[in-house]
Amino acid sequence: MEDLPGPFPVGRYARKLQEELRRRARVRLVGEVTGISRSKVQAYFELRDAEGAVPCAIWLTDLEQADLPEGSLRDGAEIVIGGGPDYYPGGGQASPSFSFRATHVRLAGEGDLLARLAALRKQLHAEGLFELQKQLARPRLPKTIGVVTAENGAAGRDLLAALRRRGWAGTVVWGFAPVQDRRAAPAIAAAIQELAATPAVEAIVVTRGGGSLADLWAFCDETLCRTVAMLRVPVISAIGHERDSTLIDDVVAVACSTPTHAAEAVVPLDCHTARADLNRSAAALRRAGEGAVGSRSRHLVALARGPARALRRERVALNQKTREIRASSERGLAERRAFQRRLGLVVLSRAAARAVGAEANSRREALRRAEVAFRAHEPERTLERGYVLAEDTGGEPVTSATAAIGAGRVRLRFSDGAVGARIDPDGSEE
Amino acid sequence: MSEKPESYEAAVERLEQIIDRLDSGQAGLRETLDLCREGRELVTYCSAELDAVSEGLKELKLDELAARLEPPSP
Repeated sequence: MEDLPGPFPVGRYARKLQEELRRRARVRLVGEVTGISRSKVQAYFELRDAEGAVPCAIWLTDLEQADLPEGSLRDGAEIVIGGGPDYYPGGGQASPSFSFRATHVRLAGEGDLLARLAALRKQLHAEGLFELQKQLARPRLPKTIGVVTAENGAAGRDLLAALRRRGWAGTVVWGFAPVQDRRAAPAIAAAIQELAATPAVEAIVVTRGGGSLADLWAFCDETLCRTVAMLRVPVISAIGHERDSTLIDDVVAVACSTPTHAAEAVVPLDCHTARADLNRSAAALRRAGEGAVGSRSRHLVALARGPARALRRERVALNQKTREIRASSERGLAERRAFQRRLGLVVLSRAAARAVGAEANSRREALRRAEVAFRAHEPERTLERGYVLAEDTGGEPVTSATAAIGAGRVRLRFSDGAVGARIDPDGSEE
Repeated sequence: MSEKPESYEAAVERLEQIIDRLDSGQAGLRETLDLCREGRELVTYCSAELDAVSEGLKELKLDELAARLEPPSP
């Protein structure tokens, strides 16, 4: 330390510092007013943005010359100041302080903000932060959605009404946050992060009503936009009106122009339509199922009837054939009968003829046999064998000794002739 | 339904595929009956999902939700 110049009296150094700072280039700064306060002669505030802040002071005389609208220099106001750094060395009782001594002030115009917005947009786009949210899958029918908006704000009510019109009646988790001024961006970012960390929340809507770009400036906050870009839950924005475009619109999954559009984006499914579609699908399934079974059943029934029909057909054909055959056979039979009759007649006649011959032969033979038999029994044949036939005078055979005694005289007949004989009863024997 | 659909949209997409297939008339009886059964299960699932967001809108504040999720202190 001993090799450093000095030591110098601090008061002199402080004045030197003041001179050095006052020699620095005068510039314009743009940022948001915060912590504004006034003394009798000066107004004090900080001018800040997401990256840093500078303490500022302006003489009330300079402020009056700026001719700002009443009350416009307030916390949250976006302003442009002109001036340069200054240092107040303090004094015996007063503390030293550094400040940016503003000699001019005006409210930030669209041009100032748009220039800042363009620069931020370019930077975030180059880092690929615009694509991350858009790659997330969005549920068509979330049961729970988070909404970040101002408490009692019109945008939130509009969103809710639009959700109801779509027939959606799930759960809304409100993450209320200021939506304008310097406190807004960190509060919005915190609410979004908390909602995203809630497992039930499937999508998040960030919404507020219209306003100037300065009013909507919180939604161009770099930190907020970086936070949103990195979330794994889809975020839908509806900031301002259709013509308004904030930086958060670039990083979210879907940027909408109104809360009504945001309702359609966060619940893409119109529940009334979906219910009707589902009923149609159910009916189509029923028809398909019944049709598939019904048509096949009819086909099966038709197939089952096929054999019966075929059988009937065959039976009819068979009956026809039978009738034909019967008719034919009756004809044939008649012919055959006729033939047979004729044949029979012929046969009979022939048989008869044969039979007549046979009978004659048979009779002839019988006659011959009868003749033989008869001849065998003829008395002459017996007489020839030595027997004698006794006859009475009347020629009747005398067949017993008694009859012979009674006759007294008999005629003995021999085979070669008859002789008369007297009966000797004395010589009779029993 | 062998497994629960990933989401309502996945269920609806599958349901549309099933109806397209049935409408084509190319499915056999067994496939038709299987598709009809799967379709009915998907319809039941989708209907339950719609019912879940039709029972009356509930509103919670983030801090209330956080209080619900935090276990009560002993």
